[in-house]
Amino acid sequence: MPAVIRRIPAGLVSAVVALLVWQLVGTVGPLAGDSFATASEAIGALALLLGDPQFWGAVLETLQMAVLGFVISMAIGVPLGFLIGLSRFAYRSTKFTFDFFKVIPPIVLIPIAILVIGPSIAMGVWLVVFANVFAAAIQTAYGVRDADPVLLETMRCYRMGVLQQIRYVRLPSASVQIAISMRIAAAASLIVAVVAGLVGGAPGLGHLLALYQSSGTSDRTYAVVLALGILGLTISRLIVRAQRRVVFWSGR
Amino acid sequence: MTVTTIAIAIRDVTMEYPSPEGVKHVLGGVSYDVTEGHYVSIVGPSGVGKTTLLRLLTGLAQPTGGEILVQGNRLSGAPEGLAVVLQDYTRSLMPWLTVEKNIALPLRNARLDNARLSKAQVRERIDGALAEVGLEGNAKAYPWQLSGGMQQRVSIARALAVRPRILVMDEPFASVDAQTRFDLEDLVLKVRADFGITTIMVTHDIDEAVYLSDEVVVLHGRPAQVTDVVSVELPFPRSQVETRNDHRFAELRTRIYEKVRGLS
Repeated sequence: MPAVIRRIPAGLVSAVVALLVWQLVGTVGPLAGDSFATASEAIGALALLLGDPQFWGAVLETLQMAVLGFVISMAIGVPLGFLIGLSRFAYRSTKFTFDFFKVIPPIVLIPIAILVIGPSIAMGVWLVVFANVFAAAIQTAYGVRDADPVLLETMRCYRMGVLQQIRYVRLPSASVQIAISMRIAAAASLIVAVVAGLVGGAPGLGHLLALYQSSGTSDRTYAVVLALGILGLTISRLIVRAQRRVVFWSGR
Repeated sequence: MTVTTIAIAIRDVTMEYPSPEGVKHVLGGVSYDVTEGHYVSIVGPSGVGKTTLLRLLTGLAQPTGGEILVQGNRLSGAPEGLAVVLQDYTRSLMPWLTVEKNIALPLRNARLDNARLSKAQVRERIDGALAEVGLEGNAKAYPWQLSGGMQQRVSIARALAVRPRILVMDEPFASVDAQTRFDLEDLVLKVRADFGITTIMVTHDIDEAVYLSDEVVVLHGRPAQVTDVVSVELPFPRSQVETRNDHRFAELRTRIYEKVRGLS
């Protein structure tokens, strides 16, 4: 392969191909002439949106819900999970209930949330917390319980007490699972924050999406979707990078 | 004649535990005295209860009958001055700590004249232990950056740093290649010559047991009992070539082999 081609990032190639297919579908393909916006139209609309303060306001509102919800769910879920994980009985007895809450999609709670809190940023935050807190607790508890028994016994042979075992073995062991749960929660937080606006009437990008959709401006609708994709990818990249630094030994 | 003291007295120890097929009798009245400063190997067929006996000696489990006395005190929990080296070095070292921090961790509980070790004393212990096992340049490395043999050297260094009175090793060289195995065996002989720590090692390898030990204890039967105690009177220093070519070496391994197989 010539050096020039090898220097092109592989990810870029597939992105260009995907945009090309999108463009063709909307110009010569099955959706030509419909209200389906082409890639070039969506990108053009996105460029316009980037200069629109209303768009940036929506981005901020969505991030506010996602970040606040993420932080609260971790602040509750991780310590709670850690305490639960310290006791085998607590782990076994709470697992069922937490698994039950974990599998409830947060979107089905929107009707309740609208009734109790009303369509607002607070509702979005609440939904994000609900979406993540149980999974974070279970994952953390699992991490604590999953500490290597060989390591724990080695430390017992060196006369380490229970508190020292928690501090020097169980906590670092659990941090791998905590990092994984944070990565999953970060992605989920953004999605839920958008859904809260899309169908729950909360503000932010979801609300903007609903607005553009109902006014029939498909180029802007798709532009918001593109923006969400870029936002999600950026967040996930940042989290993965942070994870590699904090739990650097994981996977070795 | 020199006076020998008993470091560990194993008195009529039995171990049984419930299983789906009924009560399993693993150890049936095991008695043996470990002489202070001796290197003792425990051999026996697979599943005979060697590791169970080690768990009792480290205080990780309590015998259902009989008693174990360490320095005359009945054992409950890990005895003071115990150090361990296990077969699975990847699981007994902490991957999130550097080599020196792995060695330093058990030193938190170490006492010298009833006082915690100072930073300088900890440093000295780490450097001394790493020098003893030949890993001077690897203090800042993480265990997973080292080869298997080097990781097991770190385990040995961690054990030495606590200045143990009793060293317990469970199949310490079973997970490394043959060449590394010889190197680690010779390292253990050097440690033995330098410190004379009372050592109990479980091994599958009869040659290794003879090569390293003062005494080899054979466990056999179900429930297991001590069927032979073989005194290894090969001269020190021992070497891989000369010691293993000694005709007494061959006689000892034959005798132990037959006992392990239950042939005599």
